[in-house]
Amino acid sequence: MLTEPYMQRALLIALLLGPLCGFLGVFVTARRMAFFSDTVAHSALAGVAMGLALGWDPSWPMLGVSLVVALLILWLKEKTELLTDTIMALLMSGFMAAGVVGFSLLKGFRAELHRYLFGDILSVGPAEVWLALGIFVVVNLVLFTRLSALTLLTVQEDLAHVSGLSVRGLNFAFVILLTLVVAISIRLLGIILVTSLLVIPPATARNLASNLRQEILLSLLVGVVGGVGGVLLSYQFDLPCGPTIVLTCVALFLISLTFDQIRRALQRPVQS
Amino acid sequence: MADVRFHPSGLALEVRGLKVILGDTQVLRGVDLHVPRGQIVALIGPNGSGKTTLLRCLLGLQQPAQGEVRIFGQRVTAEVLRRVGYVPQRLALDRSFVLSVREFLSLRLEQTRNWFWQQRSTLDGHLRAALPEYDLEPLLDRPVAGLSGGQLQRVLVAFSLLGKPEMLLLDEPTAGVDSPGEQSFYELISTIHRRHQMSVILVSHDLSMVYRHASRVYALNGVICCEGTPEEVMNADSLKQAYGIHVTPYHHDHGPGHHHWVNVQP
Repeated sequence: MLTEPYMQRALLIALLLGPLCGFLGVFVTARRMAFFSDTVAHSALAGVAMGLALGWDPSWPMLGVSLVVALLILWLKEKTELLTDTIMALLMSGFMAAGVVGFSLLKGFRAELHRYLFGDILSVGPAEVWLALGIFVVVNLVLFTRLSALTLLTVQEDLAHVSGLSVRGLNFAFVILLTLVVAISIRLLGIILVTSLLVIPPATARNLASNLRQEILLSLLVGVVGGVGGVLLSYQFDLPCGPTIVLTCVALFLISLTFDQIRRALQRPVQS
Repeated sequence: MADVRFHPSGLALEVRGLKVILGDTQVLRGVDLHVPRGQIVALIGPNGSGKTTLLRCLLGLQQPAQGEVRIFGQRVTAEVLRRVGYVPQRLALDRSFVLSVREFLSLRLEQTRNWFWQQRSTLDGHLRAALPEYDLEPLLDRPVAGLSGGQLQRVLVAFSLLGKPEMLLLDEPTAGVDSPGEQSFYELISTIHRRHQMSVILVSHDLSMVYRHASRVYALNGVICCEGTPEEVMNADSLKQAYGIHVTPYHHDHGPGHHHWVNVQP
């Protein structure tokens, strides 16, 4: 199976994006931004429809629309009194509806729609692997070099500000990085399931970790095992790739949860 | 040219004619404060009196509609804030974010900023050297989100001290802390103040503790209603002015200086 070029690309993409989502997910979940990534992902459908209508590779308009939506969220948060959830729900439904309407006007793209909704890692081309590699390098570089700043921002923004950090700049950078990762991960898991790779690995890691370093490392590991394991399982049993990756991650989460519950039960003092 | 209205030599904090409007409400209506260096100053006032808004202005987190804040004679900038340690009331930290106390403290120290790649013993060595009089050893492995109120406040003070501040700003530090914890926390602040000759600005609603530990008290209710030593400010009339209620001290048998303050009537 490893001699097939499409499988090599699929495994490479899983190997890049699995740990990247695992790492970023630690901060996404702690900062309660899972809905943000869902909004960006769902809105990307409008970009896909636009790309297909114009006869372009949909990856680029998809990336562009995701970035526009992310910036709109930040702008509306700053300029209006609306709750963040309201802003995100508004943009998500608006852009997703525009995408669905766009697809209904285009003829003969049902397979494409399915591919973007549920992911199709096996159809990934070399250009997308390079794009994923570029995003992997940039995001990891920023995350590792600004890890202390990002951690302090997650602890409390006021404390980060008094410690001399540019809270606005860091928030902006984090949102842009997250948007890039979500947009590129849509090819791996699809619009519907992409957030799961940002949420399940850190949740799994938390059941086992006793400090942040362990949490980050375990989340990276779960991202790798879930991503690569899911691709291999989907090939072996002829299953859809994105959902298989998610189910692999869920299985790892359940194992960690069981382990955590047993450990807690053993630590509980025995009542006489 | 230096602003002649300000005298940077002796003052830790100067606030002039500060007005803040939030929505339709004028929360601060012209606050003036002059806090000399090296004192423990308490800012008291009822809920909604603008204590938190004033604190946010001091930290540059809230832009005033009018007026000016100067810390050590300078406008509030990132550079000036390096000389300030801030101790928030609490952290809105998700319990599942398992940041340990060791990792949290390492974020503030230059030598341990790369904590992710450093050995535990290396981090501990740096932290011990930076805070020699502070016994944090038993807490270092604990997750920050799992600390009790009193433990968290001690850790937050330690975090501020790692930045070697000349001024500490504490926002209702003992809210949600039990009575013995509250007592030992204020003793810790007094010790730090004595040892480092640091300016301490304390936002508090706890009149008994303020009475015992502050060298100067400002009562706020949109404006500074009264200021002076604890004895001067905490007479019933001054507090009535600030709180809009009648408050009276009663003495009990814990020795001199042990007053309790009770609300007598609305």
